[in-house]
Amino acid sequence: MPLTETGLKQPVKASAADMLKININPVPDDQKVEAAIKHLNELGQKFRSLMLTFESCVKCGACAENCHTYLGTRDPYNIPANRADLLRKVYKRYFTPEGRFFPRLIGAKDLELEDLEKMFSYFYQCNECRRCALVCPFGLDTCEVTMAGRQLLHWLGMVPKLHAAVGAAMAKTGNHTGLTKAGIVDTCEFLEEEIMDETGVEIKIPVDQPADILYIPSSADFLLNPNTMTGAAKFFHYLGVKWTISSEITEAGNFGLLFDQRATLRANCMRVIDEALKLGVKKIVWGECGHGWRAGKMYLPGMLDRPGRIPIVHIHDEVRYYIEKGALKLHKEVNSRPVTLHDPCNFGRACNMCDTLRVVMNACVTNFVEMTPNRERNFCCGGGSAILFDDPEMYDLRIKFSAKKAEQVRETGVGKNGDGILCAPCSICKAQLYPMVEEHELGVEVKGLIDLVGLALYPPLNK
Amino acid sequence: MTYFILQILPYISVSVLIIGLLYRMGRWASGRIVHNITLTPAPTTQAGALLDIAAEVVFFKSLYKADKSLWSGGWIMHVALFSILGGHIMGIGLLGLQFYYIGLTSEHTSEYLSNLLGTSFGVVVLLALLYLLYRRMAINEVKQLSAPSDYLHLLMLIAIVTVGNIMRFVPEWGIHYEPVRDYVANLLTFTPITPDMEVMHKPLFVLHLLLVQILMIYLPFSKLLHIPGMFAHRWIINRPYVEPAPGMPGVAVGGTGHAVSGGQSASGGVQ
Ligand code: HEM
Ligand code: SF4
Ligand code: SF4
Ligand code: SF4
Repeated sequence: MPLTETGLKQPVKASAADMLKININPVPDDQKVEAAIKHLNELGQKFRSLMLTFESCVKCGACAENCHTYLGTRDPYNIPANRADLLRKVYKRYFTPEGRFFPRLIGAKDLELEDLEKMFSYFYQCNECRRCALVCPFGLDTCEVTMAGRQLLHWLGMVPKLHAAVGAAMAKTGNHTGLTKAGIVDTCEFLEEEIMDETGVEIKIPVDQPADILYIPSSADFLLNPNTMTGAAKFFHYLGVKWTISSEITEAGNFGLLFDQRATLRANCMRVIDEALKLGVKKIVWGECGHGWRAGKMYLPGMLDRPGRIPIVHIHDEVRYYIEKGALKLHKEVNSRPVTLHDPCNFGRACNMCDTLRVVMNACVTNFVEMTPNRERNFCCGGGSAILFDDPEMYDLRIKFSAKKAEQVRETGVGKNGDGILCAPCSICKAQLYPMVEEHELGVEVKGLIDLVGLALYPPLNK
Repeated sequence: MTYFILQILPYISVSVLIIGLLYRMGRWASGRIVHNITLTPAPTTQAGALLDIAAEVVFFKSLYKADKSLWSGGWIMHVALFSILGGHIMGIGLLGLQFYYIGLTSEHTSEYLSNLLGTSFGVVVLLALLYLLYRRMAINEVKQLSAPSDYLHLLMLIAIVTVGNIMRFVPEWGIHYEPVRDYVANLLTFTPITPDMEVMHKPLFVLHLLLVQILMIYLPFSKLLHIPGMFAHRWIINRPYVEPAPGMPGVAVGGTGHAVSGGQSASGGVQ
């Protein structure tokens, strides 16, 4: 789908029935504009970062060449400042003196229904990667505008089917893939057998057991990235800690961050904390997921409506801690294929994790090649904020958004013999990159970081 | 008209500037920093964060890393503009004797230096502004971003600077520091100006002042809000960032057990 009548590229929208499942009653078309203006006012008044971004941009264009979506498509609306302008023009028109009296002069405009469709298109072409904030002379964060825009669209009932479905699955089962407890237990048993076959060691993946550690995996790790799940299991087993996953919350991701930073974000945060309290754990360890960790680390403390007393850390930080303590014996020689690292934007620019990724990487592999730019200057994979749409037109955009990434990977040369590894320690990066490395013929295999840790801790028998 | 521009408008423009800025900044202040959106890597102390912000303000650090040509034009323009603003205060307030007062030079040299610096920065800022204007028209992306006001801001500054430069280069159209000082003193003490004052008979000076006052009036309602906006926004995203120390319950490492994060962490208090 669908070229709409206006020629906009849009993901498939959730139906009214889909929206009801995430507790939104869509606003009828003839009332949308009025409702949107009201919501925009509320958002502007609440978020200082948003108001500042609306009022301080000098239109210098420094952000343009730094957004991979613009680099990949050369669509002017994908210039971050222009993307922000979709809302900024309207905000100025209704809520600033200059926009009220001189709209033409300063480029402010009345809101029309068509603008909302345009927002739906371009706010869902933003990866919320914050590279624009990094380069802007004032640090203006177009990601904040995208988030506000998506929030507004959500309240109007305009959410991609993908996001709405994930939201509904999360509310129902505590994970994005809709896995039930039986399914989770089955999968874990299967993964335990895999570990046994691979390493000859008996390693358990406890589900709903009394424990000290609650591990929050990404649900994609059960099916799509099993080596990340088994890697984590090997790590905990190696340390000998009492750990468990909970069938109530097997999801590191939090789509609330991406389309609804009120009810959905909070509900998902509370779900983690409630479950940790119920199990009586002493610590929560977060799995490999970029935006999820951003939500868990940066947003969760502010979303809780009671004191959060259980420490929450990321598994990468844990691994680093034990590496630096010299507590892990890592057989890095098993990971001798050339590896490059894709710094997930959320880890790099929002969660301060670049150093950690490198400490872990260097301890686990023998042939690590940095891509450029790297660390906080890295470009997004093009899947950020889960715009992993499959319909041909949106899929084509995903290829374009990942063009910069492909160029970076190619320049490292890790894939030139076809046996390279692209380490992308984030579930969404992985979901985007699995097909993209094929589309761009990069000659690399996509893996998580914990996968490599697991391999180095318990070398496979056939190695 | 001259009388209006010199006697009445200044009080209006200064009031609008101050009240306008307070209004805008008050609106910002009523919004909240809802979430922790610190841009990382970030320093671990408040001092470090302030240092980062200072580097952004003084050197435009992020812009330097991102876009060297815009940085050159932009940074030079701002430094020259800032020097000129300072120069106005020094020239008019101290009659160009600032270097003499701090004991660096003789009276005469100080005045000479002051003039030289003023003239040079006047030319530099003009060139930088012309480059920014060229850039806005020549670079496709920037052009696509620009509204009419974006060009007008630059043209306005170019006009102010050009008039200022003409006053420098054509002495008979220019004006000395003393009469301007007397004029400003009158304004500050609410003493009426008189028709025989020299400022009343210098059309270019009147024009220069008129343009500046127009700029002051629209400043709080334009993108020039980036001046306070820069500080306000950096205050949100350039913050100290404290890591929780890891270490799991139930495993002793190297005999030392596990560290806790001292109650301070981005992932909530640890007890
Ligand atoms: C504090 C750090 C500041 C930064 C990082 C900054 C940055 C910028 C940038 C990037 C531009 C855009 C240039 C363009 O049009 O392409 C600009 C324009 C401008 N800035 Fe600043 N600025 C700062 C402070 C100031 C201050 C203190 C003043 C006033 C004294 C000022 C006055 C202006 C003016 C007059 C313009 C021209 C508007 C235009 O270009 O359309 N700025 N600034
Ligand atoms: S870099 Fe910042 S100020 Fe410049 S156009 Fe982009 S958002 Fe606006
Ligand atoms: S957040 Fe990323 S994708 Fe979105 S506008 Fe900024 S640079 Fe582009
Ligand atoms: S998907 Fe990965 S690279 Fe892309 S925004 Fe998330 S963290 Fe960034």
